[in-house]
Parts: sequence; C-alpha cells; structure tokens
Amino acid sequence: MDKNDLNIFIHLLQKVFTQKQPPFDLGLIVKESESQIDVKEVFEEIKKSVDIERIIYDETIFDEDTIDKIIDAFQKNKWIFLEIKKDIGSPLLNQLKHLANHNSLQLIDYQGKDIFEMKMPENSRVIVFAERDFIENKITYPYFYRLFGPTLSLK
Amino acid sequence: MPNPETIRFKSPEELKEEEIERKIKERGPEGEILGGIVFEEEKITDPETNEEKTKRYIYIGNPYDETPIITKLETEATQEEIEAIKKEIIPMKESFEILEAMAMTYKHRQPLLIEGPTAIGKTYLAEKFTELLYGRRTKPLDFYCSGQTDVSELMAKWVAKVETEEEEKKKWNEFLESAEAQEKLSQEQKLALIHTKLQELAKSAGLSEKTRWRFQYGAVPKAMGLTRNPDGSFSFDEQKGMGFILHIEEVGLAEPQVINALLKLRGKRGQLAEEIQLWENGGRKIKAGPKFWVFFSTNPPEEYLARNEVDPALARGVVFKRMKELSEESLHLAADYYFTYKLVKKPKEKPEGCILDIYNHPEIGREIAKVVSAFHNDLNKALKKGEKGRKQRIPLTLDDMGRIADAIIDTQVRNKETGRLDLTKSLKKLIHFYYLDRLADEGIKETMEANLNELLEGITGEIEFEGETRTRKEIFDILVERASITEKEKKKLEEEKKKEEKRRLKQAKFDAQNIQDSLLKNQKIPELVKNLLQE
Repeated sequence: MDKNDLNIFIHLLQKVFTQKQPPFDLGLIVKESESQIDVKEVFEEIKKSVDIERIIYDETIFDEDTIDKIIDAFQKNKWIFLEIKKDIGSPLLNQLKHLANHNSLQLIDYQGKDIFEMKMPENSRVIVFAERDFIENKITYPYFYRLFGPTLSLK
Repeated sequence: MPNPETIRFKSPEELKEEEIERKIKERGPEGEILGGIVFEEEKITDPETNEEKTKRYIYIGNPYDETPIITKLETEATQEEIEAIKKEIIPMKESFEILEAMAMTYKHRQPLLIEGPTAIGKTYLAEKFTELLYGRRTKPLDFYCSGQTDVSELMAKWVAKVETEEEEKKKWNEFLESAEAQEKLSQEQKLALIHTKLQELAKSAGLSEKTRWRFQYGAVPKAMGLTRNPDGSFSFDEQKGMGFILHIEEVGLAEPQVINALLKLRGKRGQLAEEIQLWENGGRKIKAGPKFWVFFSTNPPEEYLARNEVDPALARGVVFKRMKELSEESLHLAADYYFTYKLVKKPKEKPEGCILDIYNHPEIGREIAKVVSAFHNDLNKALKKGEKGRKQRIPLTLDDMGRIADAIIDTQVRNKETGRLDLTKSLKKLIHFYYLDRLADEGIKETMEANLNELLEGITGEIEFEGETRTRKEIFDILVERASITEKEKKKLEEEKKKEEKRRLKQAKFDAQNIQDSLLKNQKIPELVKNLLQE
C-alpha cells in the first residue's frame, strides 16, 4: 500500500470545497482483485491519521441499524469506514446518496421528527471500502462510483 | 415625424414586463449572463386589516432566449439569499432551460420529469430551485429509486415501534400517577402484591411490550402534507399541510410496481392529484397541499443496463423534458468558471500546500480549463461506449472539474529544478484521483493516460500561444514562471528591458549614420541627393 497515496486520499477527503456543493466528499477505497492487502491493515493505517469507526455492512446487519450506527458516529464527530459486503439496500442507498448530494442525512419519522435532517459534521467523513469484483458483480445500483469523490485503488 | 395614429402608449404592466425582461436578459461587459433570475419585493395592503405587508417574488426566465417565458413565483428567500444562490449557478444554457421548466410546472402544479445525462445538473438545480423558493440551505424531500425500492417506502407501511427509555419511563410515570393505577395498585398491595401479578397488571396496561406497531407514511404522502416552519423544521398534517417539493430521482431504475404507485399522483388536466388514497391505512385519503410539487429525474435509457425508456403511462402524466448532453461550449464555460474561481471568494492568505496562488491568476486558470474540459469530454465519450467486462457505469459530472479546481489550490507538486509549481505534474496527480482510479477497464485507463500525456506534452496537444506553437506543458511553464516572479524581480526585468531598448536605439542610430556616410562617399550619387541626405 502506497502510504503517500493514502495520505493524499485522506487530505482530499478532509478538504472543504468552495466550488462544489456539497462541500465534503465521500471517499472510496477499491481493493483490486490481485491485491493482497488486508482490509484491517488499511483501516489501522487510516486510524493513525483520523478518529474513525469501522462498520461492516453484511448479511448480519439491517440497513436501519447501519444508519443508526452512522448517526451515532456523526454525533461523536467520527469518521466512518464502511465495509460493503452485501448489495446495498434501498434505505442505506437513499442515505448514502443524500450524503453524497447534500452532505446530510434525511429520514422520515425518525427520532420523533416528521423529517429528521442531520448534517454531516465538519470533522466527520465517510470512507466506503469494497472489492472491485464485488462492486462490479454484486452491487445492483449502476452508479455506485458516482457517490464518491476521490477513489483510491489498492493493487 | 411619426404618424400620430401609429403612436401608442404602453401600459404600466407592459412597461414593467419590459423592465423584467431586460433584467432577465442582462449581460456583463464580457457578454456573461447576469440575469436569468430577478428578485422583487411588493408592498401589499391587506384589505381586511389594512395592514401593510411585504411580499417577495422571483422571476425566472431563460436569458439565452430572444423572447423568454418569464414565470413569477412567491418566495420566502431574501434578496441577499437570491443573489448568493444565483452566484452558485453556472449560467449555462442548459441550466436555465431546466430552471425555466421547473418554474413553469411548479406554478401550474404540474409534475415535471427531466430525462438527461448526469452532468446536466438535475439534482443540483432541484436543490437550487428549492432554495430560490424557501431560502438558503433548504433541501427538497429526496427519494432515490433503485431496483430494490419498495412501494411501501414511497407510500406507507406499518413499522415496529421501539420505545426509547425516556418514552417508557414517561409512560410508567403517567400510569402510576393516574387515579386508576393508584386505585388498582393499592388494592393489589393490600392483597400482598407479588412480582408476577405486577407484570400482569403492566401487560394489561400495554406497558410491558417493548415493540409495538405504528403507521408510517412514505415520501409521497409526507411531501403532500408537510409544512415548512419558519425555523426550518417540518410539521405534517395529512389534511391541512401546505405541501412541499418532492424530488424522485432515477425513476428509470424503479420496478413496475413502484411506477404503478407513482401513477396515483396523476390528477386532472395534467396537474398533480389533489388527494391520494392509501389502502395500507384502510383507504384513508391524504390531501395535497397547495405547495406540493413533484419533480422526477432520470438518466437516458442507454445509460442503464437492462432498462427501458420511462414508463409510457408515467411519461403521459407528467411534463416530460428530454435534455441532451452538455454542449462543448457549456462544458468549457463551466470549466472556465471553476478554474478562474468565479464561483467563490478567493483565499486571503496562501493556504498550506499552495506554492503558487493560481486562484489570483485567471490567465493560468483559463489554460487549465481548456485542458481539463478537453480531457473530461474525451473520457466521457470513451465511457459512453462502456468499459470492458464491467457492469457499473461512471457518468462524469461537473463536480469532477470543481473538485480538481479546488484541490489544485493546495495540492501542488514542486518542480525540483526550478523550485516553482509543476502545474503539469500537479494536474496529472489530481486527474488520477478524481477520474482515472475509478476505472476498472485497464485498456481505457491506459488509453486515457496516454491521451492525457499527449494533450499536455505531445505534438497533437500543441496550440497557438502568443504567436508560437507550443505544448500545454510549455504554456503552463511560461505562465507559472511569469506568475512566480516577485515584484523586485519584475522591476529588475523591466529595467533590463529598458536598457536593451536603449541599446538597440543607439545601435540603430549608428547603423543609420554608417549608411549615410557610405552614401555620401559614393561618387555615383548626384550632389543634389547628397545635399538632401545631409539636410
């Protein structure tokens, strides 16, 4: 893993944009099929630079619980390392897209509010981690890459 | 003298229309669009209370049109807000076409569906249109369709209600304080209350079950009955709500049952339905508030795999607008706006990581804009053909250029030899992060990398610059060198230039004298001519 590229990737994510809306980007780390790098290694390396929480999105977790965990991490001003291991369900996809388009979450009838809106805190960011083959073959939403700003390809 | 019979006086309304049209079509000194959106305040006296009120309006029209259709809408935004929002919209022809369609359909309560490529800015303009009506930072209610979208998310569903600790505590307290509970508890206590009995009592009061069921409206009924409060929060009333803007994105990805549910929104005469009936809640009717409006957006069918065109029944029930790709002219205009930093306030101090303050040098920005827009256009064309063996699609957006423009301010690579900014290398690095690393097809990736190198340093990328043919890299280096020169160096250079000019003049004078002398010595030249030369 090229640590210099990882540092630039984190720097670009930390950036608050003035010319694009929304001002923060979501980041994507793609593990190429030939890569031997372990996801834990990547996570631990990022952890050295920022306060980050790992969420594994797999068959054992519901979308609603994942969203709860994201909100919880945002409330603690933490970054999120979201490891995608199953096709993204509609509720989570809606929130990821809202984060990408508006840097906020928008939920109906949540926490006692008709429309619950939560801005992504200035010190929080979302990094999604997925394997290239998984993105290409398992994720049914055809514009997955469009949700992200900088993309780091791990070879 | 004009014939008095042909003279006519314009009515105040006509004069006002002309004034608004002039403002809509207003352009700046370099021909740039300044109009498109016009703010106005009107003082109105309430006939009942005699109170004077100020109402705010916006006029929206396409400034590129010879005779634009101008729509007047009431707004909650202030003049300052409208001016700030205007500055965030790149004045491309396509942006105003979309805004014009939004304003017209909103005014007439007609649902609008725009089918167009990603880069056209549908989502961004839906947000800006909402801000124009409600003020800064107000977002529409968004719903994103995908193949996994369920009808219940749009309409309504029964969901498990999990009570929070607070809610549970509150209920227990209310129950314990109630007369009924006091009475029952005292009786039970008298009967030597035991734990199981207490549990039974609690269960009979509906307190022991953590999970209960509640009815939850989906995005459509919610938007119909929402009211935006002055503090920015929302409240919902299914009968008396004002209604709000609902943006349903990527409707082309929705399954037929979702489309069928959306057809409920069709009303009379092409307008939105005044109410819908939800069978999930026993056929209850939800009224659409006067400000309820739906905007559908989708990408062209050729951008989706295994998807057809927008459902014909849905297309018939909406105002359907098909947009083409952004023109090269618009793409370049957008790049120019980004790289000359017209959309933002420039940093007062050099940020960390910034070697050269390129945001203060529009001449450099304009050259970067040419390179990035050309690369963006080439890659977009290559991606339209699809990547080998991949299912995912990567449509490019204008944001990709905006990202590079912002990042290049403080993500700069230094040229080790000159100590100055290496603009070519910096640009290449960022293009990798924002464009190339997303690509899975190594073939396209390599081709595009080679194209980028050729564009920047090769012969085919050469262009005319100040009378000479140069590569983009050479042009960048010249411009960076000029911009990097300090005031002291500038003065020194100017002095040297002046000295050089003086020296040349002196030399020219000597040369002229020499020629004259040789002519005077020439015996073949008549004396008359020699006299004239001496004079």
